[in-house]
Amino acid sequence: MRRRIVGSLSAKLTLFYATLIAAIVVATLGTAKAGISGYAERMIRSEMVSGAAVFDRVITMRYTQLGDAGRVLAADFGFRTAAATGDAPTIASALDSLRGRLRLDQAVYVSTEGLVIGFRGTLAQREATALRDALEDGSTSGILTIGDRHFNATAAEIRAPVTIGWVVFANALDAREIARLSRLSAINLSPRVVPAAALSPSERSGDVAERRVGREDMLLQATPLATFGRGRPQMLVLQYSVTRALGEYAPILWLLLACGLTGTVLAAVGSWLLARRITRPIATLDAAARRVAQGEYAQVPVTTRDELGTLAESFNRMVDDVGERERQITHMALHDGLTGLANRVLLGERLSALSAHPASGRQHALFCLDLDNFKVVNDTLGHPTGDALLCEIARRLCDVVENGFVARLGGDEFALVVDDVRFSHVRFAHELIRAVSEPCVVNGHRIVPGTSVGIAILGPDGEDATTLTKNADLALYRAKHEGRGGYRFFEAAMDAEAQRRRQMELDLHDAIEHGHLFLMFQPLFNLSEARISAFEALLRWQHPERGTIPPNDFIPLAEDTGLIVPIGAWVIREACRIACDWPDHVRIAVNVSPVQFRNPGLSAVILQALAESGLAPGRLELEITESLFIDNPETTLASLHSLRNLGVRVALDDFGTGYSSLSYLRSFPFDKIKIDRSFIIDLLSSDGATAIIKSITTLAEALGMETTAEGVENAGQLDILRAQGCSHIQGYYFSKPIGANEVGALMAPDVDGDASSQTAPTNIRQASVTSM
Amino acid sequence: MSRFALIACVGALMAAQTNAATLSVHVVDAGGQPIPDAVVTIRPATGTSAQPIRFAWRMTMLQKDIAFNPHVLIVPVGATVAFPNEDKVRHHVYSFSKPARFELKLFGRDETRSYTFTAPGAVALGCNIHDTMSGFIKVVDTPFAGKTDAAGNVSIPSVTAGPATLTVWHPRMKAKDNEASFALLVSPSGEVSRELRLSLR
Repeated sequence: MRRRIVGSLSAKLTLFYATLIAAIVVATLGTAKAGISGYAERMIRSEMVSGAAVFDRVITMRYTQLGDAGRVLAADFGFRTAAATGDAPTIASALDSLRGRLRLDQAVYVSTEGLVIGFRGTLAQREATALRDALEDGSTSGILTIGDRHFNATAAEIRAPVTIGWVVFANALDAREIARLSRLSAINLSPRVVPAAALSPSERSGDVAERRVGREDMLLQATPLATFGRGRPQMLVLQYSVTRALGEYAPILWLLLACGLTGTVLAAVGSWLLARRITRPIATLDAAARRVAQGEYAQVPVTTRDELGTLAESFNRMVDDVGERERQITHMALHDGLTGLANRVLLGERLSALSAHPASGRQHALFCLDLDNFKVVNDTLGHPTGDALLCEIARRLCDVVENGFVARLGGDEFALVVDDVRFSHVRFAHELIRAVSEPCVVNGHRIVPGTSVGIAILGPDGEDATTLTKNADLALYRAKHEGRGGYRFFEAAMDAEAQRRRQMELDLHDAIEHGHLFLMFQPLFNLSEARISAFEALLRWQHPERGTIPPNDFIPLAEDTGLIVPIGAWVIREACRIACDWPDHVRIAVNVSPVQFRNPGLSAVILQALAESGLAPGRLELEITESLFIDNPETTLASLHSLRNLGVRVALDDFGTGYSSLSYLRSFPFDKIKIDRSFIIDLLSSDGATAIIKSITTLAEALGMETTAEGVENAGQLDILRAQGCSHIQGYYFSKPIGANEVGALMAPDVDGDASSQTAPTNIRQASVTSM
Repeated sequence: MSRFALIACVGALMAAQTNAATLSVHVVDAGGQPIPDAVVTIRPATGTSAQPIRFAWRMTMLQKDIAFNPHVLIVPVGATVAFPNEDKVRHHVYSFSKPARFELKLFGRDETRSYTFTAPGAVALGCNIHDTMSGFIKVVDTPFAGKTDAAGNVSIPSVTAGPATLTVWHPRMKAKDNEASFALLVSPSGEVSRELRLSLR
């Protein structure tokens, strides 16, 4: 959190502006301080120079005044008379009087002999002599030092007419006088008289010098003073404390500093507030974006008209648009694009929801249905018509179900979730079939739809969508299996059956690889030649756990799963391999499943098997069923012709059952027709059966085809068949299917004549003999 | 204080008379410049004759062009000096000098006052009206006296030979009473030459 605050935009802005202002304040203060310092120093220097000049002039003026007064006295004839005659009392009184009148500190007469009259105070002889010497040396004005007292002194010569002495007028250069002087300058320059020797050379130079006194920086200027006589040179020193001068500006600097600090704080607060104002909408946007990311719907209030306001508007619009698209995508994900119905996913959710919150007293059921022969509609009338039909069906389903739930699972599969409040499930199933089966006109085509329905009850038949859907599908599968236009409720056995099929499918897959499949051979007996003319290869599965599994149990499964293709190929190859060891007149017959037949690789498989085994094509006989002609007669015929071109024989298996048509007998010259066993079984009990056999054999003979009767089990049947002109027979009466190793024994000439294993051929031979 | 240097290169030349000599003195200041109006007097140790002293110049101190003329006048004791005024203005001559204190109050053009000097010494004359006027009368009691000319030379003839005291006076001389004395042996050979160097104010 702390880091977030430190790194936030607000903090950055605030820090930036606060630092900026602080820097400006510091710079301003520094400049101001330097400016003030420089100004103060210049001001002080200037004051000192001008002060020194003023003092100089004032002192000069004082000297002039004093000198003038002295000269007046010295020129006075009476005074000169008194001086010349050495009239000391008169001189003293005259000086006294003048001192009072001119307010002088000292008015002294000094004779050329060194006599001093009128000095107020004590004057040592030495000093008197020094004074006289100074006067004799011509001193007229200057600082006169008597003891420790300084005087501004001037002297005037008394000439009578030769110099007989001097009048010396002097004023004390004491504190009072200094104070008077100091008042002359704008600032107190603290003038004082200092012996030149007490000053440093630079200070004596007359320029303004700097001096550090204690903790103060002083500026100091010394002006030389004229000395009266040979006294020690004295200087007038002016000084001023720069520190104190700057101190007077301190309030301004403090005020500046205070203003600067206030400004900095204000700038910081201001920029913080501004940044907050800028970043708050950003934070709001951030929070909204997070909510949107979590899948919520969020809108940001638009409060400003600036860029942020525009951003907020764009954000809101984006959220709306994204939401709309999400709804579309969700709808697309959960609904079928063609019919608008729910799809399998939504169905699953619906079922899960119902399962999670079961309604008391109601029983929900899942109805799965698909359309009969929808593929034909698509193939013959085109996909647009097929789609339109699906939409029509969807509409009907919605009508039927009213407030129930309808989903399209894909292709022509639909599912409905319905409760049993309005109708019982049985009645609803009837309603459903009736509604779907209503004839309709789609794209100008009249179509009569048909449907089968599988029903699974939510709860008993499955708690979850997956199970329920699977079970309903199983029921549908069973319903379709039992005939179209019906319905079936799911039963637990269906599930077991389905699982068994699934396991078998897996096992069958393994069986090819592990060699659990093998072939049995059932002979076909040529009645006219009285010998075995061919063997039909019959597939067997030796399951490692369940033992031998009959073909009817796994062939349909193999056809459903497509495994029949590799299995069928193996059968052809294996059959050819084994048959090549047989006598040349013995053919091998192999059943070809419709699925296998439609596989384009069949020709290649046959060619390869023939090539591998070296078997003559004419010894291979493919048995196909009538059902091949139902779906697509033209394609079937073309395939048959290409097979025939390979040189192999083609037989029509199970003739007479299901959708038998004579037209394809005319279309394709089969080599053989195999009469279905159902006709053979009825031979002994029904005269009609005999007539049918008769007509088939007659027809086949007319068309140049052989006939084989399947499932011949007794002599009676054999007799009738022989009588009716059937050329070949096959069945238990002659021989049940045998292993490949037994084939040779069966075909060997009857050496022993009593071999018990040759029972069937014996029968045949007997029958043959009988017939003759 | 009263320094004066006698840089004496004494060369005595014998005069024609055996008992008298002419004394030549050259007076210069500290810078070697000749000093005019320096009064040189010689007092022989043997004394002077009692007969009145007479000098070759007139005993007159003229006031002309607001100045005393001559600036320095040598008179013998007892001489009466006339003070004729040839200026258009009046003068008020005074003296505070000890040998003769007097005032000749306000006399006009072509008026003459006189005063008799009875004591030897230097008398400084001033005018009470004109402070710039200054003149000196040197009252001497010896006949051997003279003042230097513009070249600083003075020649005193017929000085009695033998030891004597030479006194030099100048109004601006830095000495007590503005004068200095030296012992001098006046040789009878006739010619004595001296150079005197004085310090002036």
